[in-house]
Amino acid sequence: MTEMLLRYFRKKQKETQTEKIYDTQCPFCSMQCKMQLIEQSTVTRKRYQTIAKDNPTSEGRICIKGLHAHQHAIHGDRIKHPLLKVNGEFQKISWEEAIQLIKEKFTEIQSLHGNDTLSVYGSATITNEEAYLLGKFARVALKTRYIDYNGRLCMSSAASAATQTFGMDRGFTNSIQEIPQTRCMILAGTNIAECQPTIMPYFERAKENGCFIIAIDPRETATTKLADLHLKVKPGMDAALANGLLKVIIEEELIDQSFLERRVDGFSEVKEYIASIDLEEIAELTGVPSEKIVKAATVFGKEESGMIFTARGVEQQTDGSIAVRNFLNILLATGKIGKPFSGFGAVTGQGNGQGAREHGQKADQLPGYRSIENQEHRRYIADVWGIGKEDLPHKGVSAFEMIEKMDEGEIKGLFLMCSNPVVSNPSAAFVKQALKKLDFFVAVDLFVSETARLADLILPATSYLETPGTMTNVEGRVTLREASFPLWGEAKHDWKILCEVAKALGKGDYFSFDSPEEIFEELREATRGGLADYSGITYDRLRQEEGILWPCPDEDHPGTIRLFEHQFAHLNGKAKMIAVSNKPEVEKEKPTEDFPLYLTTGRVMSHYLTGVQTRKSPTLAAREFESYMEIHPATAEKYQIKDQTLVKIESERGSIVVRSKRSEAIRKDTVFVPFHWADSQNVNQLISKKLDPTCKMPGFKVSAVKISPVE
Amino acid sequence: MRKQRLVVIGNGMAGINCVQEILNHQPDAFEIIVFGSEPHYNYNRILLSTVLQGSTKVEDITLNDRSWYEDKNIKLYTGETVTYIDPDNKLLRTDQDREVSYDKAIIATGSHPFVLPILGNDKRGVINFRTIEDCKNIIDMSKHHKKAVVIGGGLLGLEAARGLLHLGMEVDVVHLSKHIMDRQLDPTASIMLQRELESQGVNFLLEKASAEIIGGDSVEGLRFKDGTEVEAEAIIMAVGVRPNINLMKGNRIETNRAIVVNDYLQTNVPDIYAVGECAEHRGVVYGLVKPLYEQGRELAKHICGIDSQGYQGSTLSTQLKISGVDVFSVGDFVGDETTKTITHYDEQANIYKKLVLKDDKILGAVLYGDTKVGNRLVDMINKQKVMTDEEKMLLLQTSDRNSWQVSSMEHTELICNCNGVTKGTILESCQLNNITTVEEIKSCTKASSACGGCKPLVTELLTYIQSEGFDEVIEKVTLCSCTTLTDEELVNELQIRQLRSVDEVMRELGWLTEGGCSTCLSAIQYYLGMIYPEYEKEQPSLFINERMNATMQSDGSFSITPQMYGGLTSAEELRKIADAIEQYNIPQVAITSEQRLTLMGIAQKDLEAIWKKIDLPLSSTYGNTVQNIKTCIGETICTCDKHKALQLAVKIEKTTDYVVTPYRLKMGISACLHNGAGSTTKDVGVIQTDRGWEMYVGGSSGRNVRSGQLLCVADTNKKLYEMVIGFIQYYRETAKYGERSWEWIDRVSLVHIREVLFDDDLRKQLSENLELEMKQRKKIVAELI
Repeated sequence: MTEMLLRYFRKKQKETQTEKIYDTQCPFCSMQCKMQLIEQSTVTRKRYQTIAKDNPTSEGRICIKGLHAHQHAIHGDRIKHPLLKVNGEFQKISWEEAIQLIKEKFTEIQSLHGNDTLSVYGSATITNEEAYLLGKFARVALKTRYIDYNGRLCMSSAASAATQTFGMDRGFTNSIQEIPQTRCMILAGTNIAECQPTIMPYFERAKENGCFIIAIDPRETATTKLADLHLKVKPGMDAALANGLLKVIIEEELIDQSFLERRVDGFSEVKEYIASIDLEEIAELTGVPSEKIVKAATVFGKEESGMIFTARGVEQQTDGSIAVRNFLNILLATGKIGKPFSGFGAVTGQGNGQGAREHGQKADQLPGYRSIENQEHRRYIADVWGIGKEDLPHKGVSAFEMIEKMDEGEIKGLFLMCSNPVVSNPSAAFVKQALKKLDFFVAVDLFVSETARLADLILPATSYLETPGTMTNVEGRVTLREASFPLWGEAKHDWKILCEVAKALGKGDYFSFDSPEEIFEELREATRGGLADYSGITYDRLRQEEGILWPCPDEDHPGTIRLFEHQFAHLNGKAKMIAVSNKPEVEKEKPTEDFPLYLTTGRVMSHYLTGVQTRKSPTLAAREFESYMEIHPATAEKYQIKDQTLVKIESERGSIVVRSKRSEAIRKDTVFVPFHWADSQNVNQLISKKLDPTCKMPGFKVSAVKISPVE
Repeated sequence: MRKQRLVVIGNGMAGINCVQEILNHQPDAFEIIVFGSEPHYNYNRILLSTVLQGSTKVEDITLNDRSWYEDKNIKLYTGETVTYIDPDNKLLRTDQDREVSYDKAIIATGSHPFVLPILGNDKRGVINFRTIEDCKNIIDMSKHHKKAVVIGGGLLGLEAARGLLHLGMEVDVVHLSKHIMDRQLDPTASIMLQRELESQGVNFLLEKASAEIIGGDSVEGLRFKDGTEVEAEAIIMAVGVRPNINLMKGNRIETNRAIVVNDYLQTNVPDIYAVGECAEHRGVVYGLVKPLYEQGRELAKHICGIDSQGYQGSTLSTQLKISGVDVFSVGDFVGDETTKTITHYDEQANIYKKLVLKDDKILGAVLYGDTKVGNRLVDMINKQKVMTDEEKMLLLQTSDRNSWQVSSMEHTELICNCNGVTKGTILESCQLNNITTVEEIKSCTKASSACGGCKPLVTELLTYIQSEGFDEVIEKVTLCSCTTLTDEELVNELQIRQLRSVDEVMRELGWLTEGGCSTCLSAIQYYLGMIYPEYEKEQPSLFINERMNATMQSDGSFSITPQMYGGLTSAEELRKIADAIEQYNIPQVAITSEQRLTLMGIAQKDLEAIWKKIDLPLSSTYGNTVQNIKTCIGETICTCDKHKALQLAVKIEKTTDYVVTPYRLKMGISACLHNGAGSTTKDVGVIQTDRGWEMYVGGSSGRNVRSGQLLCVADTNKKLYEMVIGFIQYYRETAKYGERSWEWIDRVSLVHIREVLFDDDLRKQLSENLELEMKQRKKIVAELI
């Protein structure tokens, strides 16, 4: 809690009378730092302080977001009661009325238009238990095929790439503790210094130990400062750059021939394609000088160990999935996977970005990373749930495609949990228009978010301080977040809301849970034998062992620290390389005469996702209270944009107004805008609707824009 | 349980350092006994050459004195040599027939100087250079003799030669090969060194093999194999050392060139370890301090049962300890056909640098003249670091002492973003609290205590503070020369002692001057006013109440200014004013820059009548108060709607009327981006935009124009109003008297002010504070009438 400076005693607070301590975990990024909230009560008010707790991942560190996370949870704007929109205004109603209304509306929509006209939109910030239950809720209580979640906009590229290449997707193939020992690493499109600050010491230690760090980013960031070599790539050209690296590695014979022969399929096709490309052409395409490509590839190839980390810079592209695969090609070609200090890390963005993508929130997926179109998998889950296999809906569509279906009128109802799609999806104006067409829209949230404003009914959910449950962190470590803070007003836990709605819909028997632990017990069963196998994990073990890395197939299993040591997860045990063209399947926007600059987007340290929570926190907002556009001074001169003035940024989709920030750290052909702000500052309004053909990720990281000063 | 007994054979640097490491881990685990052949406590052998050179005294080279051994309960036997080890019975025997049992024994017997096996090597005047005794001998000898010859042009020989020069002797250095220090330097550096030492007075006899020492009982000269001779009254043997391993004869401890040990410094015999110059690890016997310490550290961990990788060998580096001569070498500085070399040779500056690289990794280096990067080179070699071109350039560049990133930072810039700690705060706490470690900075200022991301910057800042070039001294600033108290201390004292008047303050707090000065008088009054809202300030202006006040001009006349909130007025008001002007012949009436009418040149006798006649609230902005707001009315550049801006101005002025501030506070409200009110150069300035009100703070349009900084964008009028009031009140409550808004912002940081004002509860509290104060003040004014 921010405290005022006090010169005058009469305003000083009375002595603390009582003190309470709440164990918790930061609600924000994928590090899931353990911490405690200390509540000190005086006669007149309560004071809060957060302290970090030691744990294997963040080692007792927390960043500024964690330190002040409680500020939103105790913010006066939090919703205390269900709110129903009547004549455009939200009015307080009781839970009974709210649940009854949902029952009536959902039943009406489905009986008139069919089961699949209802949809569910989930989140990667909710617990594993809630993510699991939401998937079950959609399929069992609503019997709809349409469920997807905001992880689609975040992790889907890396997830699909790892699945296709390795046969399995766990964020880090190695434990985080191995990072300091690796000899060389490539940080591709990841700004960990801003996004996962508490992971930085692992990378700093690596550097201290002599690791050669290569950063790929169009901008100079706090992360690229750590690097020995910064490849300032043109936005969106990551896949081509990876081809350049591969070319040097193959032609300089820095490949691990025996590894390729024993453990990899598809190398010869890659080799053949690589032979056909020209390094100078790559340099031209990517804007990275060929000497730098050679240096990066040579060091990575020659050092005895190496790791590659990717994040949204590479992934939030319409070729995100294949681009990540091309980086995995580099790991496989050099044999740097499945052994100590060598491996892959997809630096997950959201708090439960890993867990939430394993348990059935995805359109095509069932718990335990099972496929909804695999007969055996369907049968297994149907059995666990006690329903007929034929009653299990088939796969739906991705998050943005669901919104398109709302716009087309095919989807008529929406149950939204813990997400703000109006701000986070591309073409925000279109998203708003689509949501407005819904017959009935229920939003479950802490606040009246930009999206919740459009809802017919808002249900108050509990915050991270109030809801216990498991979260799977950036490594793939399952952690238990304790929570015992008193519930806010009439707010209910997400899982409780799901159970009550299901009961109203006559499916109470399938949702008779009284605690997250009971849900987890069912989740264990549901994941047993799946890729993401949690069956050996219990709450007690999580408490004792401070988290367990999955897969963990039985209670005596210690968890899996390093993946792929002996085989990959494909049926033949081999990894799959694939030739990746310099020209992506979905063409990316390039600067034109009308829209002459690249736009790329990202995070700042003091905010998280669409900022619904962090913008409410005074301490975090104090650091960045509005959006901005980073621009090279030379470019700014050209377009007559003075520093710290308002500038209009336009793309074919729309326009926003933000303040300019001149900086030498960015390419001259590119501007950068962070994405935590809404309305006239919502940069996602400028993003195209095009999606990655594999994983349906929108291309957040490249657009063509024009800019002009606001007079 | 009986403590384990640890016996250390050898009281030199290696053995005692290891003991120290053990005690660091486990202060009470062992009963420790140490035997040393020399009659001294542990001393720093390396500094012996600086003793010869006169820069250190013998007394100053002791590392651990008697009290240390006593404190640590270590039983020390000096001048006593262990002569026999019986591993089977775990027993030791000494030359004084003492028998001691051990549970664990560490052999740290070091080495002895090698004496050339030539004729005459036993003559008086042939001296080694290894111990304190040797050192004393040389010094004694120099008192009676003029000419010395040093055999051996290696590190020790050269240091000895330089020492002999210092002692006033003529010195010849005899060396077997063509280049001195040929094991540590390449020919280029060797020749540079030779030239330098020659210029200091050393004479070199190179490629000379000694054959015989000539003379009677005492040394008279040295004959070489080539038949030539040189005169000498003393000969210093500096041709290397041999490990002391005599003790191992007759027992089963394995030796080769020295005692063979594994990575945990274990010999082949259980519970017997060897460390230092007497140990041979992976075929290497080390003779430098750093490896010995590294060995000691690993051995201590092993003995204390702490998991470790064990000793992995050391990268050897050499630094010559001769004042004014900077020579350094490390690793493989010769290279072969697979390596590449980068050299930088500046004959003018007498600087030479050579790096030997393989695959962009450094294998070795020689530095002459500028050796500052020496430690970094060792580090890079140890880490097998792949070098970037920039790193190579940095190593080759002549080191720049002022290349600190932190030195160019402003004191107000944030170092720790999480906890909002500025450079100034860290400087201050380092200097005022004598802080010397990053950990102390962390606990004292909270910098780097959260995510740790700024730790490198904090570390750099600390190194910078401790560097020679550091000159950003922070001193305690007192309120004025009338007192030794700072503002902060004064405010505290006022409250603790409950002082209520200027006289009382000056008396109780030991004012140094009679009656103070204008600075402290105003400051004390301001602070008393903040502490006691009922405190009535002495004012040079005439203030009875809101309808009865005036400002005295330098000519003795008065001026009055009817309050027209927001600059708005009416026919009725104007008529009253016009009537008064006419009736009392007020000589001058002007429109102020803050949109008011001011009536000037009024005689004191007319004041009361005029007040009565006008009967309007009057504006009194004399001195350090909130000034009337400048608006953009009348700006013709645009036709934007100015209504909202006016409304706001009126509302804010009504709340802040007569509010006293640490320094005059000017405000401006502009209705659009054209910024007609000059809002960006006001203490508080707002501009209306499509998204809401931009609020700038800390601007100034005084003699030194300053741009305001954007504090926030408020989306509603209500929010803006709250932010403005909150800002003014927080400034009042926390600024020092006389501190301009921008100075205050720089001191407490804009981010901190936002943290407070963005917090709904705190903002509300601030506006309540102001309201309460105003109420109390108005009540007092009312009572006075």
